[in-house]
Amino acid sequence: MLHDDFDKGLEGWTALIGNYEDSQDAVLPGYRDLRPPMLSNATMWDTGSVGALDGVYSMKLATRPEEASMAVGVKRVTWRHAGPIQLEAYVTFKPEAAELRLSELDVRAFGVLFDLQDANERVMPHLRYLNALDGAPVGRWQYKKDRVPMADIGGTGKTRSHFHLSSDGWIDLDADPQPLCYNEIATKQNWHYLRVGFDLATMSYTSFQCNDRVYDVSGIAPMVMPAMANLWCMLNVAFWVETDLNKRSFLFVDSVMLSGDWEG
Amino acid sequence: MRRSHTSVVERNRVWDGVFETEPYEAAWASEAICFVRTLDASGPIADADADARVQISPDGIHWCDEGTQLSLAREPGVTFAKVAHFGGFLRLVGEVPNGAEIRVIVYLTLKA
Repeated sequence: MLHDDFDKGLEGWTALIGNYEDSQDAVLPGYRDLRPPMLSNATMWDTGSVGALDGVYSMKLATRPEEASMAVGVKRVTWRHAGPIQLEAYVTFKPEAAELRLSELDVRAFGVLFDLQDANERVMPHLRYLNALDGAPVGRWQYKKDRVPMADIGGTGKTRSHFHLSSDGWIDLDADPQPLCYNEIATKQNWHYLRVGFDLATMSYTSFQCNDRVYDVSGIAPMVMPAMANLWCMLNVAFWVETDLNKRSFLFVDSVMLSGDWEG
Repeated sequence: MRRSHTSVVERNRVWDGVFETEPYEAAWASEAICFVRTLDASGPIADADADARVQISPDGIHWCDEGTQLSLAREPGVTFAKVAHFGGFLRLVGEVPNGAEIRVIVYLTLKA
């Protein structure tokens, strides 16, 4: 369905904002300042430009230097067949190299999500790598199946919102922690492979892989809610990063491929 | 066709005192316009200086003035600054006078 390597632009990846009516102040607090994506050649103060996995640019998500600040890049399409889909991407995460410290626990988490709707339900598979929390190492992949209640936005009764990236409700995948290749200083970045499979017919996970680790996803579920009024056949994909302290955290994303297993 | 992109780097943000927009990478672009839209303003700002300065950086961490300035609108409106040949990173810095506030949306409009 799509393959984006960010050498020709952001190619449809944009910032995420919460719903509003009449006033920007109606946006739920968690959505008010999600930072936007940018094109990066990954320039480091000590070694210069790295470039991307493929070509010069990748999509960079950068938080504010404020604990729990998040940055999100989302691409919005629709699906044409209720069958298996697969998302693949290469990602690398780092804190801002503003200190001569290893800083490997400064990024709290990064993640990937789908936002889907069929005739009956809105379904939101969310997976995140919790790197560290409050300065303590974690190194686990987590999913979310319980959601916070919908809030009515504005006065028309047509707009609702819930902050699905909130910090509560995350559950560890049933597996050992997965240490990733942070590398030895804050300016060295190694790309990691991600693959998420999901079946739009059964609205269930079919696969999840990070580098050499293939996870059993048979026992995990996405967030599910009744279908909403104007989201038919929605297929959104998003990446995000969250920082664990008052320092910027970055997620770089390159070579995103979304494919579907059907003919026609 | 020349590539272009507009990023909203501040949205519904209140500036009081010293402000800095977040570093934005734009090495692919050769020109930029920084638009500042004032949504509302309050306090002793009418006759005070409330200028912002464009800054550039080799690494997104260490910054210097590029030389371009813009005045912020004291009532709802839009002002802008044009820059070119700015390297890789851009941001806007400035200071709102004591006791004053400006609520803004800031756009970086970039073109290859």
